[in-house]
Formats: sequence, C-alpha cells, structure tokens
Amino acid sequence: MYVKRQKGWEIPERLATPESVYLNRRQILAASGFGMAAAAFPRLASAETDPSADLYPAPRNSKYTIEREVTPEAINTNYNNFYEFGTHKNIASAAEALPIRPWEVKIDGLVETEITTDFDTLIRKMPLEERLYRHRCVEAWSMTVPWTGFPVAELVKFAKPLGDATYLRMETFMMPDVATGQKQIWYPWPYVEGISMAEATNDLAFLVTGAYGKPVAKSMGAPLRLHLPWKYGFKSIKSIVKFTFTDEQPVNFWQALAADEYGFWANVNPDVPHPRWSQASERDLTTNDRIPTVIFNGYGEYVADLYAGMEDQPIYM
Amino acid sequence: MAQTKTIAQKLPWNDRAGRFAPFKATVLVLVTLPALWLLYRSLTGMPAEQTALGPRPYIEAIHFVGDWTIYLLLVTLAVTPARRLFDWSKLIQVRRIIGVSALCYILLHFVLYIFDSKLDLGFVATEIVTRIYLTIGFVALLGLIALGITSTDGWVKRLGGVRWSRLHKLIYFITPLAILHYYMQSKIDVTQPVLVSGLYFWLMGYRIMARRGYKEGFVPLTILSVAAALLTVVVEAAWYGIATGVSVERVLMANLDFSFQIRPAWWVLFAGLAVTVASEIRKRAKFGGTAARGAPAGRTG
Repeated sequence: MYVKRQKGWEIPERLATPESVYLNRRQILAASGFGMAAAAFPRLASAETDPSADLYPAPRNSKYTIEREVTPEAINTNYNNFYEFGTHKNIASAAEALPIRPWEVKIDGLVETEITTDFDTLIRKMPLEERLYRHRCVEAWSMTVPWTGFPVAELVKFAKPLGDATYLRMETFMMPDVATGQKQIWYPWPYVEGISMAEATNDLAFLVTGAYGKPVAKSMGAPLRLHLPWKYGFKSIKSIVKFTFTDEQPVNFWQALAADEYGFWANVNPDVPHPRWSQASERDLTTNDRIPTVIFNGYGEYVADLYAGMEDQPIYM
Repeated sequence: MAQTKTIAQKLPWNDRAGRFAPFKATVLVLVTLPALWLLYRSLTGMPAEQTALGPRPYIEAIHFVGDWTIYLLLVTLAVTPARRLFDWSKLIQVRRIIGVSALCYILLHFVLYIFDSKLDLGFVATEIVTRIYLTIGFVALLGLIALGITSTDGWVKRLGGVRWSRLHKLIYFITPLAILHYYMQSKIDVTQPVLVSGLYFWLMGYRIMARRGYKEGFVPLTILSVAAALLTVVVEAAWYGIATGVSVERVLMANLDFSFQIRPAWWVLFAGLAVTVASEIRKRAKFGGTAARGAPAGRTG
C-alpha cells in the first residue's frame, strides 16, 4: 500500500494555486494590456494547431501533486537554458523557429529491434498524465511545473532493450540552420544526456510532451523532453530525437565541456557546492524567495535507494 | 596657505574655479545613464509577476553593473592614449569622474550581491574566502576603494604628484583582476571577457609602446592593433584549453568561421585599426590646417 509521508517543507495541495486561477490571471493581465501576456499568444495559437492538442489536459497523477506554488507559465516559458538558441535565457522567440512536425524519434543500440517512429504515433501509444514537479537548476534557482507526459519506464517497455543495456543515452536534434547556437563549432553538439537503466525505470523519470495543460512550448523543449526532478536541470535534455540503449556510461554535453563542474549523476545535494557557488539554497522563481535546497530536491523517498552503495562515485556532481 | 574649497568648486560638474563646466557635466550624465537604465528596468515591466529584469532580478542587475564596472575601467585606461592620439587634453578633466564612477558601479555590484545573499554577511564572507573568483573580485574592489579615497585634490597634495601617480598605476593591475573575475564567473562562454581583455591588451600595449617613444604613427599603431588581436586569439584558446573541455583547435578555427558571429579578436583588431585611422586623419587635418595657414602650396597630402 502506498502511504504518503508528508515532509515538513511540503505544503498541502489545497494551498497550491490551481492552473485555472493562473489562466484567469493571465487573461486579466492580457485584458489590461500587459506585454508579457501578449508574448504567450503565438504559442496559444500554435497549441491549437498541434496534432496532439486533443490529448490535453491529461488526468493528474495525484501521487506527485503536493507541491510549492506553480510557477507562472510566462516565467517558465521565457527563462530557459537552451544553448542551441543562445547562451542567455531569453531564447523563447528564437526557439519558435524550431520545426516540431514531422518529428522522428529513433530508438537504437542494445534493443531487440531498432525502431524509428513518428512522434505523433509514439505519443498515442503512451499513457499520458499530468504531474507537478519541482525543477532545480544547477545555477541555484528553481521552478514548479505542471508537466504532462509519460514515465521513461513506458518508453523502455516499448523499446524492449536487451539484458546487457545498462544506460540510456539521449540526443537532441541537430539543426544549425534553425538553432544558430549550434553554429558555435567549439561546443560538442548535439546535446547528449544519459541515465542509468535503474534511473530510467524509476517512476519519477518522466518524458514530457506537455506543460500547463497543452503541448509543451518550444522554449521548454518541444515536442519531447526529459524531466528528472531529483537531478540538476541540465540532465533533463530537451527536444529529443534519439534514444540509445548502451552498456557504456554516456558523456553528457556539460560534462564534456566542464567535467570539474558538471558530472554524469548530478543529483541535487545542498551540502555539495558547485565549485563556484553554494548549492545550500535556491531562488524560487515563483515567489522570488531564497529557500533552502533539499537533498534529491525533496524526492529522496523515491530515489535515494538508487544510489545505495555508490558513495565512492561523484553522485552529487 | 591652504585654501578651503568653496562648495561650487567641489561640485563635480564645475571647474576648479567653481564655474559650470559643460564637458564635465556631460560625462557625469553619461556615466550615470547605465545606472538610470537599471533603475528604470527594475521599476517597470510586469508588476504582478516580475520586473523588466526578469525572474532573477538580483542576478541580472549584478551582471549588468559588473559589466559596466569593467567598461568604465577600460574607458579610464583609454583617457591617456586618447589625449595623445587625438590631441584632446581636455579629457584629463573627466578622468576622475570616470574612475570614481567605476568605483560606484563595483560598490553597487557588491551591495547587490549582499542583497542576493539575503543580507547574510557571514555567508558573504565565507563565499569570498571559499570561491577564488570572488576573492579576486573582492581584491579588485578593495583596490578601487583605495584609489577612490585617494582620488581627491587633498590626497594628491598630501602624497605629492609622483607618489600619487605611482599609487594610481594600481589601476593597471586592478583591471585585469576584474577581467579575470569576469572569466571565472562565466558558465562556459567567455566571448565577452575575451573581448574586454583584448581591449585591455591594446591599451596596455599602447603604454609600453609610448614608453619606448612610439606615441603615435600609423605603422606602430597598426602593429599594436594586430599584436593585441593575436594575443586575444591566444588568450581565448588558452582559457578554453586550460579551464574547460572545449577543443582548442575548434576555438581557433571559429576565428575564421563567420556564420555565427565575428569572434572577439576581430573586434579588437577593428577597434584598434579604427583608432589608428582616426588618429591619422586627425593628425593630417591638424598638419593640413597648420600648413594651410602657413603655406598653402605646401599641401601635398
């Protein structure tokens, strides 16, 4: 039987602002002519023509709904690390150039048979649900996001990996003509991330297709991105085109760039500082408060045992 | 007998006689503009959710003010070369305004960092001691405070011109400390720090050249500009090679790839050559002007 143990820092769901209230607030702001609400309009229009639009909103998984206040959509879609479109966080309009249909997803490596599937075919084979997750960036800020998607475990089931697969490697698109950041030839494009099979099959590991009750924004990694809420945000790769099952630990993008600052495991831990700053606290972008960071970003009860006996490895970097 | 200055003489927009000096006032306004722009952005935008500084206003403001500290340090260092190359002696009147404004920006940078740390001075102190890039930035801050305090006429008198000048040459070392701090706080992309270090190389290279007697001239300035640009290429490649996992070969190759952006070494070269050409035009105009008054027929270009 699943028993929910309430943590001291958790707030009951009734205190979280329902999405409808946010949407109403957005409408009120839009009606009063504020600029940032207007910035969301092109996205709303594209959400209507998205071939997967009918799948939203998906039912909410009540197991993961006890949360901080949800971060306003306008903040979440306009403050993104997406180096393919620029080294600053203001990439939302540049990311609009990304063509997300047709979108092919390839599954290869140590699998029974390689699969190449269209994203819209794939998504309709997956059980979509909504989950409220905390997102902790390695840069010591955090958001709370209502994602829609399916567990990575469902993709693993679909892919039928062979028994010797120990890691899942993921890759972002490579389109330097659209994503001009990829023209910076000194970066190891495309973006690569990886997780162990044990992590991939943990229920928390989530493949995101939507947010805020509609297909996910391009600035947040449409049409398909990862979210691992107990790890620093850079692990949660955006706009995935390829899943490779392998027996070798992948070298992720940031590890290749700065191995002394960004590792493979990157589990959130307030007691292990980044070489250049403390991870003890984080700036909550919803309230703009600086709040204490919690080990595994507060998800220890689900994931801590994944790392039992791995103390000799840099699991917090 | 030491005379006490009147209030009019002390005001930064007045000259030594206490009269309004439009040039000083203009520069005073110019150095204030970035701070006013920051203030404007911190007060406007989305009142319900955030200001025009975005979701992390402190970080945005800290970076903005830090950038301007470095720009103003470079402008301070550009005063002497500009006076010589453009025969613009008036510039000396505003060097102190620019230098003191750099101090004001670095102080604001530090105060904003303290606010971002929830005014926890113990935490701030620990961070400065633990993080080497913060230690370096803090040393630069202390250095600029020392120069700011001794920037007054009274201190020039007290120390005597020679000792005062020697003390204020500290700016040659404080600026690279600030630039090193800029490099070290970068996540991975050091394009901006590389650009400002290239400009610093040019300004310091000019001083070395001038000490050897090459105060102006098309050829020496062109050589200086090319040398500063090449040093920029080397420093950029060395930074990525030593501090990151980025391929040095690809960083070097990027200097010849213009599909994304023009790399900083080129901007250093362009800036240096622009100054070279402008100073040459200025020299010829002056020479031409003198010749025109003296012997018009002598003008051969």
